[in-house]
Amino acid sequence: MLKGITKRYSDVTAADGLDLTVNDQEYLCLLGPTGAGKTTALRVIAGLTAPDEGTVHFDQRDVTSVEPEHRNAVLLSQTYSLFPTMTVAENIMFGPDIRNVPDRDKEQMLVSLLDLVRLTGRAGSYPRELSGGMQQRCALVRAIATSPDVLLLDEPLRALDARLRIDLRRELKSLAKTLGLTVVHVTHDQDEALVMADRIAIIRDGRIVQVGTPSQVFNEPASPFVANFVGQSNFFTGTVVSSGPDGSEVEDDAGHRMKSRPTDVPVGEKAVLAVKVGHTRLLKLEAAKLQGRIERMLFEGRVVHVDVDVDGVGRFSAKIPASHGGRYQVGDEIGVGWNRNKAKLFPYPEGGLENELRVD
Amino acid sequence: MGSGDRLLEFISRRGFRKGWTVFNIAFFLLFIILPTVFILSYAVTDWSKIQNYVLNDPATMDLIIGAVAVSFEIAAIVTVIDFIAGLPVAWMMARKEFRGKQFLDTLIDMPLAVPTAALGFSAAIFWAATPNPPPFSLAVISSPMLLIILLHVVFSYPYMVRSLTAILGGIDETYETAGRTLGASRLTAVRTITLPLFRAGLVTGAILCFARSLSETGGTIIALATLYGRKMVEGDFQTGPTLIGLWKDASVSDPSLLPALAFVSILLIVLALVLLLVLKVVIMKVRLPLRKVWPTPEKLLSRGLFPKFKDSSAVLFLAAIVLVPSFFIFTYVFTGTPAQADWGLFIDALVTSFAVASVVTVVDLVTGIPLALYIVKNRSGRLAQLLDVLVNVPLIVPTAALGFSLGLFWSTLDSGAAVPILLIILAHIAFTYPLVVRNVVGAVEGVDPAFEETARTLGARPLQSFRRVLLPMIKGSILAGAIMAFTRSLGETGATLAVVANANTAPVYIVNLVNSQSYYLAAMACIILIIISYMFMLLLRRFTREEVV
Repeated sequence: MLKGITKRYSDVTAADGLDLTVNDQEYLCLLGPTGAGKTTALRVIAGLTAPDEGTVHFDQRDVTSVEPEHRNAVLLSQTYSLFPTMTVAENIMFGPDIRNVPDRDKEQMLVSLLDLVRLTGRAGSYPRELSGGMQQRCALVRAIATSPDVLLLDEPLRALDARLRIDLRRELKSLAKTLGLTVVHVTHDQDEALVMADRIAIIRDGRIVQVGTPSQVFNEPASPFVANFVGQSNFFTGTVVSSGPDGSEVEDDAGHRMKSRPTDVPVGEKAVLAVKVGHTRLLKLEAAKLQGRIERMLFEGRVVHVDVDVDGVGRFSAKIPASHGGRYQVGDEIGVGWNRNKAKLFPYPEGGLENELRVD
Repeated sequence: MGSGDRLLEFISRRGFRKGWTVFNIAFFLLFIILPTVFILSYAVTDWSKIQNYVLNDPATMDLIIGAVAVSFEIAAIVTVIDFIAGLPVAWMMARKEFRGKQFLDTLIDMPLAVPTAALGFSAAIFWAATPNPPPFSLAVISSPMLLIILLHVVFSYPYMVRSLTAILGGIDETYETAGRTLGASRLTAVRTITLPLFRAGLVTGAILCFARSLSETGGTIIALATLYGRKMVEGDFQTGPTLIGLWKDASVSDPSLLPALAFVSILLIVLALVLLLVLKVVIMKVRLPLRKVWPTPEKLLSRGLFPKFKDSSAVLFLAAIVLVPSFFIFTYVFTGTPAQADWGLFIDALVTSFAVASVVTVVDLVTGIPLALYIVKNRSGRLAQLLDVLVNVPLIVPTAALGFSLGLFWSTLDSGAAVPILLIILAHIAFTYPLVVRNVVGAVEGVDPAFEETARTLGARPLQSFRRVLLPMIKGSILAGAIMAFTRSLGETGATLAVVANANTAPVYIVNLVNSQSYYLAAMACIILIIISYMFMLLLRRFTREEVV
């Protein structure tokens, strides 16, 4: 339904020449750090913020100057915005009311919608009398009641308890799929995006950095930023010394040589190698090119997070099974390494690595 | 498509909305700000007259300077008293839970329900050492200055308490708790942490009190007339506004007083604006030397009897200084000598007053709410910021000066043939309009814009989303603004007399009764006015509350 949204607008960089296409019946997650322009993008789609430049299209229709109420793109805000002066039923029927849907149709619609989100007994309650999860479901069903062409979710799970949030991920996704909705879901939580999305669009400083399926984004990051933002990565900076179909090799100033997958970065150029924390291994001291000392160990339940300070290179993190946790202790001398197929090589970012990885 | 839909379609058009906004801003500037400050133009066009009749006439100059100085002196003293006496009560309202809190809450607003003329009379017969004091009155005060100070405290006290309570309620108590867990005694924590945080509330409260005292005319005139036992004359104790009232009255037969009249008004308006700006800067910028801490004495003062003493004396102040004088007039029913009166005339006056107040309130709401919405939604725009400041101007301009300015403005346009009641309505709109706008701005700022935005994406037109979503949420504040505007209009004497010297509204009728020493009748009329306006407020509250719940 929603194709070819092209919007460029030069507000403080809230959206800096941002292009995004959302396919019909797709669940798209717009993922980015705080202040990246996620909400702005959503508001532009909804028609609540007018872009300075660029256009918004629904199908082939240019809707850039169409009022929000005529777009049929419903926004579900972070705080749900359930109208406190109306009951659950009145809230849900707000959209149909405005559209003068006949009373009998409304009644039927209300019954089935309440049933859909298990709020049947609460039709007469006021929003403040509902739990957080109920409020979320009520707001969702209110949005669905107008049969929107596109549903815009602004951090819809943010205000919930951690446990509930994980339960609702599944529920929200299956609801969207059952009803065949087109959804744009804004979030800063990479786990949420990976679990829920058909496709993820990574946004940063008002630009879309990468669009792809969750596994593409996770396994084939387009930049060091994406590599680190979607599943934390370790980085190794150096100069490309060899490059071939089997892989490439990078050497840093101290003479450490590390391997990666094949790359386009030409030999002699400065480059940065990224490897996911989950793909980083702890090795026996003698077998490793990178050697260091265990700085810290954090028990995380099924795994133990280990930070290793590698002499002259920096910190590398790894996750080891909790059952192996007893083998190591803080202060141990240890080696770090990875399978070369798990490591990706990027040209060294213009503004420096630290600036590239910044998330604020 | 029905005609209703077509109308909705029409008024939802962007062009119409823009036009409506422009109309409301224009209304505000042309009908409220321009007439209010119109008097300033007199200084430009008729400077020679001012020079001849005022500046070169030492007797008149002395009179004017004396009166204006007294006005400022009184306003300053009243503001300080309000702050000292109001702070503990505001504190109790914002922070404490106790039996009778609701009751106290209502009591604080009571003086607002009493027309200023009635209030002035009631307080005067309670305090003033008149030739024939009524039974139970204190009759101790013979100094007009002291009497007016006491009277103005009654008027302005609720404004101070309300402003302070509002801001105190918004200050996170955890700051203070943190201070106390770090070892500060309660008093030290409050003084060094909380008090500096509520300067904003103090500014609002101080400006409202100062302006209210500076601009009060009707009640002041009536209190002085009661004290002297006759209509005031030029040689009596005068404040700026009473002088305007007096001269305006006399200028009907003696046009040579006009320059003097204009000069006092200009002086009051300009000085009020300057002083309030200074007040704002002083309170916001000057750092009071509050940092030093005296642990031992402050600890002593935080415990035991002192806090109880502070609370009870503050409540006692409220009862004895504010409430009893306000309602002292009720004793007349039992003790006065009954007299016959022309009740027909009074009923006419009452009807006029209620009609004026109703029209004024409706106009305030219809044009004030859109302006308030514009101000909030365009916060970053320069025009909205300017409007936000300008809205306060009619509040701080003395009502008598405002009325005079307005009268001059409209008669200039219409060569004196204007309908008197229309002039009264326009005058009342000018000083009640800010009350509605201020209240609505405050309320809308507190509402998350996401509510309306969500409603829009759900398919609601701007008007629909306002009526169905925003309006129910800010109803309370609109009501508060409407009640303030209504009662303010109902009780206003000074501005009414300044635009139309022989107006027949209820407060003017009462002033005339007092001037002719018909105290029993004045008391009865006051009581009727109080009861009717109080019932009206109760009804309005009940009516709107039911819908909210």
